[in-house]
Amino acid sequence: MTKNRSYCDGMSRRNMLQLGLGASAAGALGLSRTVAASGTSDKPGVDPARDDVSLIILFLQGGLSTIDTLDMKPNAPAEFRGEFNPISTVVPSMQVCEHLPGLAQVADRFSLLRNFTHHDSGHGPADHYMLTGYAPRAGFNGSLKPNNHYPSHGSVISKKLGPRGSVPPYVCLPKMHRSGGAAYLGASHAPFEVEADPNAPDFVVPDLTPPLAINASRFDARRELMTTVDRFREKAEVTANSGTRALTTFQKKAFDLISSPATRIAFDIHSEPESTREEFGSNSLGQSCLMARRLVEAGVRCVTIDHTNWDTHYNNFDVLKNDLLPHLDTGLPMLIRDLEQRGMLDTTMVCVMGEFGRTPRVNKYAGRDHWGPSNTILLAGGGIKGGRVIGATNARGERPDADPVGPEDLSATIFHRLGIKGDDEFHTPEGRPVKIVNDGRVLRELL
Amino acid sequence: MARDSVAFTWTGYPHGVRSHYREVVSGLFLSVVPHAPCPVNELTLALEFVDAFLVVAGSFSFGERRLVWWLLRLLAELKSITFRLPLICGQSSVPNQFWRHAACFSVVLVCLASRDAKAQLNVLPPRVVLHGPDSRWQLLVSHAEQGLSFDSTRTAEYRSKDSGVASVSPDGVVRGVSDGQTVVEISANGQTRSIPVVVREAAAKRHVHFENDVLPILSRFGCNTSGCHGKAEGQNGFKLSIFGFDPQADLAALTQEGRGRRTNRTIPENSLVLRKASGGMPHGGGIRIRRNSPEFRVLRDWIKDGAAAGDADSATLVSIQVVPSDARMAMETGQQLQVSARFSDGQKTDVTHLAKFQTNSEALATVDDFGLVTTGDSPGEAAIMASYLGEVDAFRAIVPQPQPDSGAEFPQQPVLNFIDSLVDDKLRKLNIHPAGLCSDSDFLRRAFLDIIGTLPTATEAREFLAASSRNKRAELVDSLLHRKEYADFQALKWSDVLRVDRLTLGHKQAYTYYRWIREAFARNRRFDEFARDAITATGSLTKNPAANLFKVAKKPGEAASTVSQVFMGVRIECAQCHHHPFDQWSQRDYYGMEAFFTQVNFKSTPSGQVLLPNKATKTKHPRTGDIVQAHALLQDEPSETPDGDRRRLFADWLTADDNKWFARNIVNRVWAQLMGRGIVSPVDDFRLTNPPTNPGLLDALAKHFVESGFDLHQLIRTITASRTYQLVTTPSAMNEQDEQNYSRALFKRLDAEVRFDMICQVTGSSEKFDGMPVGYRAIELWDSQVPHYFLSLFGRPVRATACECERAAQPSVGQVLHVLNSPQIHEKLSSDAGKPAMLEESIRDNEKLVEEIYLMFYSRFPTTDEHVSVSRYLANADNRRKAVEDVAWSLMNTVEFLFNH
Repeated sequence: MTKNRSYCDGMSRRNMLQLGLGASAAGALGLSRTVAASGTSDKPGVDPARDDVSLIILFLQGGLSTIDTLDMKPNAPAEFRGEFNPISTVVPSMQVCEHLPGLAQVADRFSLLRNFTHHDSGHGPADHYMLTGYAPRAGFNGSLKPNNHYPSHGSVISKKLGPRGSVPPYVCLPKMHRSGGAAYLGASHAPFEVEADPNAPDFVVPDLTPPLAINASRFDARRELMTTVDRFREKAEVTANSGTRALTTFQKKAFDLISSPATRIAFDIHSEPESTREEFGSNSLGQSCLMARRLVEAGVRCVTIDHTNWDTHYNNFDVLKNDLLPHLDTGLPMLIRDLEQRGMLDTTMVCVMGEFGRTPRVNKYAGRDHWGPSNTILLAGGGIKGGRVIGATNARGERPDADPVGPEDLSATIFHRLGIKGDDEFHTPEGRPVKIVNDGRVLRELL
Repeated sequence: MARDSVAFTWTGYPHGVRSHYREVVSGLFLSVVPHAPCPVNELTLALEFVDAFLVVAGSFSFGERRLVWWLLRLLAELKSITFRLPLICGQSSVPNQFWRHAACFSVVLVCLASRDAKAQLNVLPPRVVLHGPDSRWQLLVSHAEQGLSFDSTRTAEYRSKDSGVASVSPDGVVRGVSDGQTVVEISANGQTRSIPVVVREAAAKRHVHFENDVLPILSRFGCNTSGCHGKAEGQNGFKLSIFGFDPQADLAALTQEGRGRRTNRTIPENSLVLRKASGGMPHGGGIRIRRNSPEFRVLRDWIKDGAAAGDADSATLVSIQVVPSDARMAMETGQQLQVSARFSDGQKTDVTHLAKFQTNSEALATVDDFGLVTTGDSPGEAAIMASYLGEVDAFRAIVPQPQPDSGAEFPQQPVLNFIDSLVDDKLRKLNIHPAGLCSDSDFLRRAFLDIIGTLPTATEAREFLAASSRNKRAELVDSLLHRKEYADFQALKWSDVLRVDRLTLGHKQAYTYYRWIREAFARNRRFDEFARDAITATGSLTKNPAANLFKVAKKPGEAASTVSQVFMGVRIECAQCHHHPFDQWSQRDYYGMEAFFTQVNFKSTPSGQVLLPNKATKTKHPRTGDIVQAHALLQDEPSETPDGDRRRLFADWLTADDNKWFARNIVNRVWAQLMGRGIVSPVDDFRLTNPPTNPGLLDALAKHFVESGFDLHQLIRTITASRTYQLVTTPSAMNEQDEQNYSRALFKRLDAEVRFDMICQVTGSSEKFDGMPVGYRAIELWDSQVPHYFLSLFGRPVRATACECERAAQPSVGQVLHVLNSPQIHEKLSSDAGKPAMLEESIRDNEKLVEEIYLMFYSRFPTTDEHVSVSRYLANADNRRKAVEDVAWSLMNTVEFLFNH
């Protein structure tokens, strides 16, 4: 145990940051601020006091049936209320699904946004809307990867805040969602894709470590050879060309990633004690939550977990009860607890959402279809007050009764907590100014 | 004395003398005014100039010239280099020795007398006439020094002789107070100037005109931008048209909507719009217009007078003008701009305070809200746009490289064709020096990658390097143009912008569309014909695949935008919904273009889809409802459109020899592909406010292209034959900050497909792409959606738009890691059937092996040092095969391999 945990006991995050690419080294090459900076003190439109806040998005792709889980309607007619019963939580005013007992125990750490709604009930555009805060424009092609018309939350965070230490600022687990891209912010702010399932027994992050055939000494020898054969290295050519300058920066970052103990440890889920791994649940969702925590601990600013299979058109209740909810109910509460135990919950916002809710009326296949108008969002940490239920949907869970809020407001709240000014603008290649947040309201009732 | 009597033939004298001075004859003197910063030590240059003058004058002996030289040298510490030379010395035969000596002395004396003459203070305009109430004019104060203009508008002292007639603010704005005449005195740089000011009708009643007077204020203070009330849904219930493109709607929004509270005619100060904007009430946008400002008064007077549209017959805005139009500026100095608006009744008013400013290069020059331009610390040329009520004009800031102490001179290099002289002219102007000529191996690799997107093989490299033909570079280019890969590579590029998109077109159609494009490049079709065929395509999609263009750009507006972006490099789509914010295009221009494409119509037949143009369709202006006749940009709108397929009219106009955009756009695209940066950059964004870095060069290339019969081969031959194309990448102190004037070769990022093919080539492993035959290279992929991790990671475009920008130009950590560590690349390097294994087995001699690897990766022989160190690595290795893989891996991850240079 002690051996395994030495990273947490023996090395503070400050130490780890020092292992990373120093801002000064990058500065000497005359690099742009976004590439080089590792602090937020001199960034426009950024509140340096919030530099320590991170974000974990748990995206339940396909669409979580919130009427069966976080916003139950036990008094609605049978064809609406479904098969599940609500149970009490540690918060008197909040009930959740009977298949989420673990979550019920940490209800005082999270809040529910039951007045959340949007108009889009198609997977592609709704995903884009939720993951960027912008509905896509006409001509949207959801099957492209990335399909972003607007940058994802993680890309905005990468652009505005830059990396913190040697780890990438924005990581997607286990793979990148199609709407997780950077759009006009450019490839530099695209996510670092893990492209592997942390639950796999032989999990390694591809490309982050050299192939097995290349042991450490051979890698070092190669790297040394590479510096001797690179005739432009450290030459005026490289600094006088913006293209090569960027490449060498990224190459330095890449070598930092490969050689930095911080990254190596962060991505090495096997160094986690077996007991902890089990507590998170031996499944993709649970291990992704654990991985997200490790990454945030190492300095990653935004981790987006893309968990699939929530599109329960058929046998909604069986699938939820036997497959999906048990995973959610171990991984998510454990993530919240673990963050809290490590003193990280106040600085780590966890946001659980699907692209939409599901039709309040159960269909003939005992399933539920797509439903944008009601879609409860769960938020915890990072300054979000726990134990609150904001808003309510009508008796059949069809739409909010009053004061609806939407993806714009959620983005505004997330960016506000991360110290990013939502009013700031980016410019698209056509020169069109686009605000970071499309006119959302910071949801003070959560803070 | 006539100017002709001085026969200036400067041949033989340093370039510096002629390119940095211009001669001005005034009275009895020939003044020599520097117009570029001095490239060498000022004193030396000054002396050389005087000496050259005496040579030209003809009668002075070498001894006399030396005497003058030394006299000046002893007497002078010449700081100012504005010379005057007595013209009398230039008379071709000075009668006798006495006069010659007198002339020599007069040269010395006059030079010395004029050396300290202060650079004259310039004030613009020379005379101010202010007309009407609240009228104003921004003065500009500057002086010239060493060929540069120094602006002191903000630091000068101003004094109005009669402040009862006109006042003048500390930043040089003259305002009329009452009718009369006075004088404003301006002091700066130890000198004083006076200019007359006339004020007329200062007390006349103001007739505020909504469109001319109120809208500019709403625009200037950002009320109608996309972030505020200009966005589609408005802001807090108050919606204005974006950038004020719809004055009627804005007038209604202000006077009728919002229960009429926005404008209160009885108590104008209580109008919601004034209270919100001036901070009298909470306002999400903060305080925008202060209560005591002239703009507030205009709005108040407008409301007081009934908040009406104003006189329908009022003069309309004709154009705006920025003064100065350009200036040579030192680094990190300022220049105030002045903007005037000319109306249809001939009136000119100062609108500097209401114009919006924007720079095209933050690094070269920035501009504040009040029109003060500040240059940065790199040399180059920036354009600063001013816009006012949909009209735009630009100021060019030319910032030369300062002369270093070393006194390096502009290098003398051969001019291989017209490109070099035009590039050199620009470089001289900026005092940036071109780099030297590149080696054969640099040329070989560059030409291969630029022209055919393919790395030369080791054999090709050996052959070329060994060839002894004097003309071998040109011969190489010629052979590349006829290779299969030329058509592959060009088709790849054009399939991007012409959008060969399988997801939209379907497999079969996309493929035939691609084949049509590729065929054009394989046969080197005249480019004007290629464009015409694409634009006017009719008939069956199977028989005429070009018609697929209208399948990807389905709507007429989309077709118009795509065609103008691809073939003209002009982006008009902004003007679909509102006046283009950075250019002159109005909605009328947009719909005039759209009208060419409204007849496009597909019919389903048993043999597939057929494009059959409709007979007649009308295009309506979406706001006014007027019929808009088809008319191209900057063309007069006809009263009626002729019958027939209008796309033909458009194609006739587009491909005419004198079209303003077509040839320029194509040569610019080719130039960018070969040189790494367009003369207009980005290549598909020609606009008033994004001017070419070298307009003369762009014009000359376009002329050449038209004269050659729109022949792409000839264009590529001409560009690659220039010295400018054949420069080294090595920067010097005199060009290291320049990336836009072609002073040295740039490192070009390789397209995802090219890079992948290179990796396959050097590792000897071909890739099997999904749905493609074995042996297909990545540059041959006609479908940009073929699933491939490497290609997606390195930014292959999805062809959703016609924008060049779809090819991601930025690297990412993920890309670097992939080449360093990925199992896929490792597999290629370590495969038993791969090049490293094969070479290791077939070449036992380490030195020969190293040579082969270098030729394969870098298309050059290794240097002695490289030979030694890499051979040693191989010799010391326990496992030679693995060591060869290590060498290949190392070379693959270098800047030299990963870039085109």
